[in-house]
Amino acid sequence: MIENGRISVLQMAILVYPTIIATAILLLPAITGDQAKQDMWLSPIWASAAGFLAVFLAIRLNNRFPDMTIIQYSEVIVGKFLGKAIGLLFILFLAHNCGVTLREYGEFVKGNFLEDTPLAVIIGSMIFICALAVRGGIEVMARSAQVFVPVVTVLFIVVLLLLIPDITPGNVQPVFKDGIMPSLKGATVAAGWFLEFFVIAFMLPFLRNRKKSAKWSIITVVAVIITMVVTNLVTLFIFGALTPTFTYPVMEAARYISIAEFIQHMESVVMAIWVGGIFIKISVLLYITVLSTAQWVRLSDYRPIVFPYAFIIGVLGHWSAENVQELEKFLKETFPIYALLFLALLPTMLLVTAAARGLRSQNTDNRTSSDASAGKDRSK
Amino acid sequence: MKNGQKGRLPLKRRRLKQQKAKQADKTAKLEPSVDSKAPLSDSLRANENTFRSIYDNSSDVIFRPFYIGEQVKALLIYIEGLSNIEEIDDSVLSPLIKSKADGDTTVDTLINKKVAVSDVKKVTTFSDSVKEIASGSPVIIVDQQTSGFALGLSKWENRSVEEPQAEMVVRGPREGFVETIGVNTSLIRRRIRSPKLKMKAMEAGEYTKTAIKIAYIDGVADQSVIKEAASRINRIDVDGILDSGVLEEYIEDHPQSPFPQVLSTERPDIVSANLLEGRVAILVDGSPFVLIVPATFYSLLQSSEDYYGRFLIGTSIRWLRYFFLLISLFLPSLYVALLTYHQEMVPTTLLFSIAASRAQVPFPALIEALMMEITFEALREAGLRLPKQVGSAVSIVGALVIGEAAVSAGIVSAPMVIVVALTGVASFTIPRYSASAAVRMLRFPMIFLAGTLGLLGIMLGIIGIIVHMATIRSFGEPYLSPMAPMKWRGMKDVLIRAPWWKLNTRPRFTGETNDYRQADNQKPSPIRGKD
Repeated sequence: MIENGRISVLQMAILVYPTIIATAILLLPAITGDQAKQDMWLSPIWASAAGFLAVFLAIRLNNRFPDMTIIQYSEVIVGKFLGKAIGLLFILFLAHNCGVTLREYGEFVKGNFLEDTPLAVIIGSMIFICALAVRGGIEVMARSAQVFVPVVTVLFIVVLLLLIPDITPGNVQPVFKDGIMPSLKGATVAAGWFLEFFVIAFMLPFLRNRKKSAKWSIITVVAVIITMVVTNLVTLFIFGALTPTFTYPVMEAARYISIAEFIQHMESVVMAIWVGGIFIKISVLLYITVLSTAQWVRLSDYRPIVFPYAFIIGVLGHWSAENVQELEKFLKETFPIYALLFLALLPTMLLVTAAARGLRSQNTDNRTSSDASAGKDRSK
Repeated sequence: MKNGQKGRLPLKRRRLKQQKAKQADKTAKLEPSVDSKAPLSDSLRANENTFRSIYDNSSDVIFRPFYIGEQVKALLIYIEGLSNIEEIDDSVLSPLIKSKADGDTTVDTLINKKVAVSDVKKVTTFSDSVKEIASGSPVIIVDQQTSGFALGLSKWENRSVEEPQAEMVVRGPREGFVETIGVNTSLIRRRIRSPKLKMKAMEAGEYTKTAIKIAYIDGVADQSVIKEAASRINRIDVDGILDSGVLEEYIEDHPQSPFPQVLSTERPDIVSANLLEGRVAILVDGSPFVLIVPATFYSLLQSSEDYYGRFLIGTSIRWLRYFFLLISLFLPSLYVALLTYHQEMVPTTLLFSIAASRAQVPFPALIEALMMEITFEALREAGLRLPKQVGSAVSIVGALVIGEAAVSAGIVSAPMVIVVALTGVASFTIPRYSASAAVRMLRFPMIFLAGTLGLLGIMLGIIGIIVHMATIRSFGEPYLSPMAPMKWRGMKDVLIRAPWWKLNTRPRFTGETNDYRQADNQKPSPIRGKD
């Protein structure tokens, strides 16, 4: 195996949760609110269907090919040439996705806090740290996530609790004013985030015990739904119809926090907390990109290409959009279809083909032993 | 890497190579080549000559020839100051000299019938004899015999057992380890009397021949950790090990890390507690610091007193310590970040008073913080190194002068002095010196990050530190365990100090040998039903 580390299902859940949520809590309220208005809190619930679909696809494909990622089994399913082509497309998608996420982070920090700092510094410092984590392997990322995710989650809940004095629950009415359609329209964007659950396809082969993977994946989806609904509700309670006018409604909400005139202007703290989450997200995306590439060109180790790749992705992030408006437009209009194509249609096609041809990985033992010997060569 | 491996001949072989080169070079003065592995011969004269050539120019080695029963020649060899001379005279020399003239003088008879010493060891080779003599046991060789015997009568000056100065407790045992390994093992053995307590003897150092002992409890400690420790010590091939700190650097997993991956302590009760938890202790002769492996980050933040006091208080003290660990790592950088980038977060009145005191200061907050922190570290270091009589006076005067005069002269602001003082106090709450040193060192890059990127910089620094800590392991144990990877049964000794009657399982590491350390349901309860 190219990756020698093994993680538990809990660690997988704790890695995937911030991978979905980190950018969603920032951008999603405004984007869904644009379409769904006061029904925006319902959109994540509809959109979660996409999450369950992605989990279903990833786990079904993994059941057929337990020790392989999509890069490897696409070659088995549709043949070497077509499989390689699919793998290449997938790698390009992953790298682009990682770059865009990095840019989202960069735009957010630059736009709100460090106006005078060059974007390259903000992006570069983050991708460097992420590359360090990725170089450590999936175990190191999982352990880092186990430190950050509980802390970040607790602090996020505290921030939401501190906002309680400012909320107006009446903003949620009238429910279903224009029927179900607005909330469904809002759900299309949220679905893009839920489709990212397909990243578990890159972690399932490295689980120590695969038995509870379905259960924990579903728990993670539910946790993501709850977080998104709560975030949307809180921003709706605070801003009402104004929500879509902000780019980062949660951050605007954090400016309202004022306890005893002493704790105030918490937005920088919220940013710092959020950086802990986005770090996990970018690390996971960078990891799967690097891993896919290494598997695609059949390297025996992915570590040597981490830093060069991180540099490329930093540049990609820098080029991915002219400005924050263009980025937002991309996320709103292009990304749902983009994600649907790669994270739903492509895997569905692979799964259907594999099922139709009755393909399973029979020579698992051969694979692992040859990979193990490759690993031994490296250690020498 | 590949170039490095070429140069990595074992030291012994390199020495041999050097010696050969010297022999080839006729001008080099040859050391008397004595085959020390050779067995003793039956001629006393030949043996004596060999010993004398081994101990050439060693004026502290005493050769004392004498006759057993006025007939058989014998020779006593010992090193001045390492052996108990009165005991040698009373229990060995006088019975041997006064013994009957026609007695049996084989070594075995002498050991069994003549020598009134409990610890006697037969030696048959020169190397064994030299080893015994060096460790303070006088060796007696007898004419016509191919063996001699070593008497365990070593005695030298050593420090008495006293309270360790670096690890004070209010409640708990006050004994500390000393520089003699025999005393140290006895301090542990006195606490754990079961024969399951094992002490594996090893040796390191080409010239120092330092005695090393690996202590563990059989059936509790993880065999793989014991094996790993032994193999790492065996691998060491150096001139000398003078302190356990040197050994630590040779056996730790990640030498480049600022964090200590081996726990070192002067307290026998801490070593015993860790042995009972399934860890392995490494004792080094000549060092009062005993190493404990594997060490996790949280074990460096535990004090023995947490376990001797009430658990509620132990838990709150532990939380206080965690909080002040964060303070000592982040307070100066937070101050710099807030003043430089996030003034809006500081409450208005506080901001005014800080601004007023900073009005005269010519430096930006980053430079001010770096300057003051470096000064504080220098004061602390000076306070440590100065002679005891002036040390505390100088550090107080230095602090007063720098605190008072620098503020009134407008070089630094008063809030910065407060921040630095608080950081200094906070760093003393960390019970392990090596851990607090790591935190103190990491403070400086954090200040720098805060001064360049504000709170984002601090967060990136935190992420960097956490990623590093998630990477390192200590003898197979992840450094952040039991938090990451999460192990619930370890957490009850990390997040809180659970009451003793709740700590049923060992906070175990990689091997799951002997899970339970006490019976269930031992919670005490009051007598009920009485009026």
